[in-house]
Amino acid sequence: MPVASVSSTFVLDNGACSLKAGYSSWSSPNVIPNSITKAKSEKRRIFIGNQIDECRDLSSLYFMLPFQKGYLTNWDYQKQIWDYMYGKQCLNVDTPSKNLVFTEPYFNFLSIQEGLSELFFEEYRFKNVFRTHPGDLTCYKNKMEHPEEPCCLVVDSGYSFTHIVPYVDGKRVRNATKRIDVGGKLLTNHLKEIISYRQLHVMDETYVMNACREDCCYVSLDFERDLTKAESRTESRDYVLPDFTNLRRGFMKSPEASNGRPEDSEQIIRMNNERFAVPEILFHPSDIGIQQMGIPETIAHVISECPEETQRWLYQNIVLTGGLAKMPGFRERILKDVRELAPNEFKVIVRLPEDPISYAWQGGAALADDPIFRELSVSKLDYQERGHQACVDKYYL
Amino acid sequence: MSGAGSKRAVRDVNRRVMDQATRQRRARKALESLEQDNFHDDPHADLVMSKKALSLFQDHPEEERKAKRKSRTTEYYKQRFRKNFPQLLEEDAVQNPNPPNYLSAQTLNSLQPARHFCAVCGFSSKYVCVVCGTRYCSRRCQETHEETRCLKWTA
Repeated sequence: MPVASVSSTFVLDNGACSLKAGYSSWSSPNVIPNSITKAKSEKRRIFIGNQIDECRDLSSLYFMLPFQKGYLTNWDYQKQIWDYMYGKQCLNVDTPSKNLVFTEPYFNFLSIQEGLSELFFEEYRFKNVFRTHPGDLTCYKNKMEHPEEPCCLVVDSGYSFTHIVPYVDGKRVRNATKRIDVGGKLLTNHLKEIISYRQLHVMDETYVMNACREDCCYVSLDFERDLTKAESRTESRDYVLPDFTNLRRGFMKSPEASNGRPEDSEQIIRMNNERFAVPEILFHPSDIGIQQMGIPETIAHVISECPEETQRWLYQNIVLTGGLAKMPGFRERILKDVRELAPNEFKVIVRLPEDPISYAWQGGAALADDPIFRELSVSKLDYQERGHQACVDKYYL
Repeated sequence: MSGAGSKRAVRDVNRRVMDQATRQRRARKALESLEQDNFHDDPHADLVMSKKALSLFQDHPEEERKAKRKSRTTEYYKQRFRKNFPQLLEEDAVQNPNPPNYLSAQTLNSLQPARHFCAVCGFSSKYVCVVCGTRYCSRRCQETHEETRCLKWTA
């Protein structure tokens, strides 16, 4: 993971589910859960961020999350997690001597922005701070890899929601940016709900079922066909739940071994249509009653809102980021559906980075070494003179 | 056959049918529950910390005290910025009324017709429960639905 080298800039991609944190000189960030967790087995302590790795029994974990619906609302939790992360136990960052690249959600609220300014400059006392959005960093990274592309469409599917953000000449088209209120949290909760109703009560097992979703779910390329196939129940797979004595993370059995009968002490759930019906919500939120367009439809809509001369360029540079982009079949399905919706004469190219979770962080790390960083960031002195207005002028105009 | 028919007739008389507003409220509640962080209570809620125990948890009480002088406590930040999501939204409507903003960024209603799935087994459904409007696909699923969820979830 991290290299020992310490550069002058610290990059923090502050997601609702995980923090992607590290010095700009590192090749990849540390991914730390952005949560405080309580376990029923260990009543003497709480687990901050990645301390949860020290917890033996991960059943019925109780989560305290700084973010609500994708926006920072519980400052005391966030402060505790940041204190821990910058502290000696974790990354040991001497914040007053460092610069910071930080990501915040799109259309962040004013009072949250003010709070962040105060924390960064008065509490952690960073030298220079550049605040941006994960999509901006993704676009920057994409530009490095594909300098010939003038436009870029970022599909950012995270824990709280999915954003479709168009960039023209490296600039975000703010009024065409769209949000779908479906993210990893909703998918996991929905999976928990249907499994609890159909098979086994797992409503309290957010942690276990999130792992189950990651291990089992895939995006179907032909939903109707897969659904008909699943009706025969021959394609069902067994998922072995962890018991936290011999097995720490559950796993899916091979098709041959999935016979629906647990061995000895195993506890299994059967995954049939749940495997692809759950991710399908991203493509048809109306399946569970959310009256919104799915990802491909939104992509087509967002591009149609952009200037006409940019549309063909946007279609041929679609970048997928965020944790949900790791689902098998995600890229192929988006390519297939967008191809059907896009005008015939346009090329459609959908790119999936090797690690969609840390891709935005990589962009931030690269940007930190760019001379433009100085121009974009707000220094502590600026802030001391002009307060939050200094940030408004730099970041939000 | 006639026995089953008369049973159904009796049931039909006693049947309470949910109105449209209740159905919508129920659907909205189900969606809201998908945003919940935890479905069980805080496992440490019943713990009472004694003062002795508290001091055990602080590894370096000396250092802690020194640090406090310059840094504000978490309690300060909790109070200083305490706003929940609805409050933030309300505030945003005043401060930032012109699009683009959070509300305008929501994607539009889909132009494609909604698909329907059985609430019990998840496969395509053709039928609707006359009482509560939940979808089901077969007689078997209908029975399961009536025994478990029909009308039991109303607010």
